[in-house]
Amino acid sequence: MTEQTKDKKVHGVVAEYTDVDSLMAACRRIRDAGYKRTDAFTPFPVHGIDDALGIKPTVLPWIALGAGATGTMIALAMQIWMNGIDYQYIISGKPFISLPAFIPVAFELTILLASFGTFFGMWALNGLPRFSNPIFTNPRFDRATDDTFFLYIDAKDPQFDQAGVERLLGDAGGEQITAVVDDDTPTKIPRFLLTAIVSVIALSMIPALIVAKMRVTTSDKPRFHIFMDMDLSPAKDAQQTSTLFADLRAMRPDVPGTVARGAFDGNLDYLTGIDMEELSMTDAPRAQRLVAAYAQGDDASAQAGGDDASADSGDAAAQTDKTPWLKSNPLDVDMDVVQRGQTQFGIYCATCHGLDGRGNGLVNQRAQRILATAWVPPSNMHDPTLYQDQYPDGKLFSTITNGVRKMAGYASQIEPEDRWAIVAYVRALQKSQNASLDEVPAADRGTIEKEVADVKQQLKEAAEAERQRQEEAAAKAAAEEAEQATEEADADSADDQ
Amino acid sequence: MALAVPTGLDNTKERPGERAPLVLGDTTYHDITEMVSSIAEKPPGRAWVLGFIVAFALLNMLGLCILYLIYTGVGVWGNRAPIFWGWPIVNFVFWVGIGHAGTLISAILYLFRQEWRTSINRAAEAMTIFAVVCAGTFPGIHVGRAWLAYWLAPYPSLNLWMWPQFRSPLLWDVFAVSTYATVSLLFWYMGMVPDLATFRDRSKNKWRRMAYGILCLGWSGSSRHWMRYEKAYALLAAFAAPLVLSVHTIVSFDFAVSQVPGWHTTIFPPYFVAGAIFSGFAMVITLMVPARKIFSLEKIITLRHLDNMTRIILATGMIVGLAYGTEFFIAWYGQVPEEKFAFINRAFGPYAWAYWTMITCNVISPNLFWFKKVRTTPWMMWVVSIFVNIGMWFERFVITVTSLSRDYLPSAWAYFEPTWVDWAMLVGSFGLFFTLFLLFCKFMPVVNMAETKATLAHELHLSHSGHGGH
Repeated sequence: MTEQTKDKKVHGVVAEYTDVDSLMAACRRIRDAGYKRTDAFTPFPVHGIDDALGIKPTVLPWIALGAGATGTMIALAMQIWMNGIDYQYIISGKPFISLPAFIPVAFELTILLASFGTFFGMWALNGLPRFSNPIFTNPRFDRATDDTFFLYIDAKDPQFDQAGVERLLGDAGGEQITAVVDDDTPTKIPRFLLTAIVSVIALSMIPALIVAKMRVTTSDKPRFHIFMDMDLSPAKDAQQTSTLFADLRAMRPDVPGTVARGAFDGNLDYLTGIDMEELSMTDAPRAQRLVAAYAQGDDASAQAGGDDASADSGDAAAQTDKTPWLKSNPLDVDMDVVQRGQTQFGIYCATCHGLDGRGNGLVNQRAQRILATAWVPPSNMHDPTLYQDQYPDGKLFSTITNGVRKMAGYASQIEPEDRWAIVAYVRALQKSQNASLDEVPAADRGTIEKEVADVKQQLKEAAEAERQRQEEAAAKAAAEEAEQATEEADADSADDQ
Repeated sequence: MALAVPTGLDNTKERPGERAPLVLGDTTYHDITEMVSSIAEKPPGRAWVLGFIVAFALLNMLGLCILYLIYTGVGVWGNRAPIFWGWPIVNFVFWVGIGHAGTLISAILYLFRQEWRTSINRAAEAMTIFAVVCAGTFPGIHVGRAWLAYWLAPYPSLNLWMWPQFRSPLLWDVFAVSTYATVSLLFWYMGMVPDLATFRDRSKNKWRRMAYGILCLGWSGSSRHWMRYEKAYALLAAFAAPLVLSVHTIVSFDFAVSQVPGWHTTIFPPYFVAGAIFSGFAMVITLMVPARKIFSLEKIITLRHLDNMTRIILATGMIVGLAYGTEFFIAWYGQVPEEKFAFINRAFGPYAWAYWTMITCNVISPNLFWFKKVRTTPWMMWVVSIFVNIGMWFERFVITVTSLSRDYLPSAWAYFEPTWVDWAMLVGSFGLFFTLFLLFCKFMPVVNMAETKATLAHELHLSHSGHGGH
């Protein structure tokens, strides 16, 4: 190795060529002369020059393949883990690990990583970026990216001998043969640039550090909102204005044709079953409570008023019940009302009280059968204490509304009008079990008597038919018995033979 | 005629047995360097300044609209029940489609060894990047809470404790578009490195030299580097070619995987890809015809380049027309009442005006390219390319809006009405696109000098060694 130490280190020798063909010829010539550490610098890729210079193929495709395969594996593992195992979405009963649906992302990541592998692999193999290169010291070399072709032999080549190399390149048609010497321009990044870069990086980390600190510490101040999302509700208070509606009122009237739950039309007698006028004279505070509860309309207050009423209707309080209950049904009771009451009674009451009102509905039957200990048997409607004279219609209405003992109130299920209809039906039911012929209008008595006679006659005939049927059955059984005895006797005699 | 082709610059005649030259005039390597570098070195011309002022103003309008949107909410758009995919998605699909021609020119034509790509691929790739930037903006702000758009990424979240749903085409879209943007950027940047080195070496100013020196990563033009570089370029082209097909396929899945009548069809992937290439080439013509005039690049972006592109527009335009016809045929042949209705409604319903605009622009106007006069007259092809751009925007509008506005639930039917924000954002997205493109023209090599020189070298080699020289 020839080491020139005159003033600057020589890295190699470079020669210029003006067209591709002379460059290629020179390349072949120095290759054949046995030089290995050679290179050509051209403004565009010259095809065939790798062969002319003896450049070996690159491993880049294998890097790309490896990176691409990594991409596929990462994508599949990621999707299987995220959607198949760690967080399973139920979509139309499809399998959690549904590979066909994972293909697109796997494909994209394969391409992405293969491209990264190719791009960064190529720069790494080329040793770029490299900003300080001794070949750039030659000002003529600026034309290597324009229109001039350079051929270079490195000083590290075992055969390198500066004079010989210069002669060889000249013989191969090279012009402007010069030595490539050390670059004496400073290679360090200027101090101010370095300072600027470092401070920009340092400053850019401040927001991230603030966020990181806020994430791990607690604070008694409200959360810091950049975007409000729905953290603060724009709900309006009473009497405020709103531009959302044409009348600018934030408080909205009821939708036409609807009645809010618990709203009442002022007729509290009808809703409570109590003569409110009399109550306000005898027990003003209670009357006020009831008015307030119903006027407020909310369930809690109505319930409070209701409890008040139902407590009074309890057994213990019954003796001292001073409540001025309505004596009679405010509805105009006719056949329609009673039938409506019958329907509602069948739906809501009969399960416990029984269709006949004797307190032995299916629920009670089952409760008795399983010996339910907490069960309080339903009242028998035919108990004289529940008759109108002792248990006024208003009180019965209040009981249906608010409940009594174990029975829950039915205010929320049954409309007030239907509750009154049930009261009417219960009265009819009680009457049906406890009426005399005298209470029937004289004109209809004949009909009833005839019906009673008919029923008695039918019962008599049914009893007679039953008696006859039993007699016939007995006779038939006797005959069969006799016949069987004869057969057995025949069989016995046959055996004897 | 003022716009007539200067003599000696018409290389569109077919001579049997002979390749038409792609670099015209007695152009040398140095001429190519001069032609392209001077664009970036000279002070910008009046046309550039004027264009930049307009484009930058529109970009600012877009920025203000986005701020207004984020501050107020997505209600500022015309998106209303049942049309929740309004113009933002129309614009997204439109811009992604535009981008496709860039990748097609740089990757697929490269793989097919079409040398005429060399002088137009750089600008087309730049167009791809900027179109994808425009495209990416719209889904980003369409998610409603744009500041949470990063939730789309599968990252281990401390707030959500959940992962994205990988069986949704919308998530595939996130991966496809972001991969596409990344790979296109790598491809574009890698292609520019040797030309940036040229810019560095021509710089007189120290700072300019340093800036381009950093950008070109210390490129020296070494043959050993070129060899790996060309291998990497071929590999990236091979990856980008299936990628570009996959991206618009997945974009079409956003529609086709749903069950909306008019969307739920298997023809969507090829139909979208053909439409994307169609619109992308139209946009390349729209950009290159004025650029070649303003920057005097007629010798390297020749009439033959433009002619070839118009042929591709003609071919893809007919594919798109066939796809429209096939959709109608399948709607009839399938006998699904909702599907039949969707297509009849498209052509004759309340959006008939949009449908027939689309047909006129996309199916009828490209047929002008049957005439050689149109194929070789820049201003004529420019006009047709504008029609195609308009038509392709309307195609996305027709697909997105007509299907949503009248789906299975007639009581919910509605007519889409864009707001001023919709308009401003559409126009503003062109501002974003042209701002980026004009900056690119000013500071980056508009034409791939290295590859154009290689093409020239190839032609010189052929002319020296006679016909069929290699």
